Amino acid sequence: MNASSDGFKMIRLMTIVSLLCGVLIVGTQINTQARIRRNQEIIMRESVAQLLPGISKQVIYGIQPSGDLKIQASAATAGPRLFAGYDASGKFLGVVIEASERGYADLISAMYAYAPDTQTITGFQVVDMKETPGLGNRISTDPSFLENFKSLDATHPIATVKHGAKKNPWEIDAISGATVSSRAVGRMLQKSVQDVAPVVQRNLNRIKRGE
Amino acid sequence: MNDDQTPVACHGATPASPSPIDAMLAFTNGLWKQNPVFVMVLGMCPTMAITNSVRNAIAMGLATTFVIASSDALISLIRKLVPKQVRIATFILIIATSVTIVDYLVKAISINVYKTLGPFIPLIVSNCLVLERPEAFASKNTVGKSLLDGLGMGLGFTFALTCLGTVREVLGAGTFLGFHVFGPNFEPWVLFLLPPGGFISLAMWLLTFTAWRQWSARRKLQREMAQTVPAVEVAL
Repeated sequence: MNASSDGFKMIRLMTIVSLLCGVLIVGTQINTQARIRRNQEIIMRESVAQLLPGISKQVIYGIQPSGDLKIQASAATAGPRLFAGYDASGKFLGVVIEASERGYADLISAMYAYAPDTQTITGFQVVDMKETPGLGNRISTDPSFLENFKSLDATHPIATVKHGAKKNPWEIDAISGATVSSRAVGRMLQKSVQDVAPVVQRNLNRIKRGE
Repeated sequence: MNDDQTPVACHGATPASPSPIDAMLAFTNGLWKQNPVFVMVLGMCPTMAITNSVRNAIAMGLATTFVIASSDALISLIRKLVPKQVRIATFILIIATSVTIVDYLVKAISINVYKTLGPFIPLIVSNCLVLERPEAFASKNTVGKSLLDGLGMGLGFTFALTCLGTVREVLGAGTFLGFHVFGPNFEPWVLFLLPPGGFISLAMWLLTFTAWRQWSARRKLQREMAQTVPAVEVAL
């Protein structure tokens, strides 16, 4: 009798505590959801603005599995997408594309600016990574590495070469001591350009009009 | 590690009504006397992983402080209702809830801090310090004292993380909180940003901290002896 009463007490306590914890978690989630979305959107928009200088308007396109583009209202939605940027007069500046690839430690997520008219990559920014501090994480800060992406030819397969061995405009000069991370960036851009550039070219007139 | 270190559970064993002195002791205990990193050597995973910059160290410390203080207070509140057999399960449930709430709050307050701390926030739950405080203190003391103990332990943890982060960031990157300390000609000692640098910095701090504690204990003993000897002479 006592044992079963103790058991009931334990179950009752665990149930009440679990319920209380559930309420607390769900309450926090509901109350912070809007702000988290807003923060994510701000970060996204800031990254796009840094990659396309002079931008004053952005249109976000979701890339459908069929290869079509669909305008999205918010940057906080999931799924593959690209950001088209326009200046104050409405002139098309270029697109920013999201890409990711496995690096040395974990997945490297990045955004890069792509100019469809010249078919070149004009900027690169890491969004998220866990590369080794002081070595691999220099892919987001090393000025000479980021110089590679000022005008990277995307008509030819992009390749990462050893530090100091860059000869062609489609090659990325790796960071000495961070070759694995540098190569991951090269692979990421090559794969992404291969997949997304044809979609951009096919819908270019529409993107330029911002429709 | 040191001679005057009391066992962890002993100081929390008496559920006395909290006097201001008791409350003060509960708070300062974690800050210095039983500092979680320098004395108890607990929570080594975040201590090593996150201290490669001062900003990360402070943010991780504050997140852990929130988790310890809130779960300590909540556990203390229900301590008389929790049967002994399910106490660990109950504590873990409450701690996991606090960690999840911190996860959402950090994401809502600053996405930049979240990007840095992201993978480490869920790991707060596995920090043994976070489970040790409810078990050793909050389950035996009043809500107020438990809250103060949690705050003291958390801030002590933040202090230790900041000490390590300072050494690692200054030597490993030549900066403090992102500001250059040594000028453009300084060649950063990258080793200090890597895992071995974490161990070396921790060893340096433990050595300094222990040496200082032993020195102050010796001084205290000498002072006590100096006071005792004249008293004996007078008695004679």
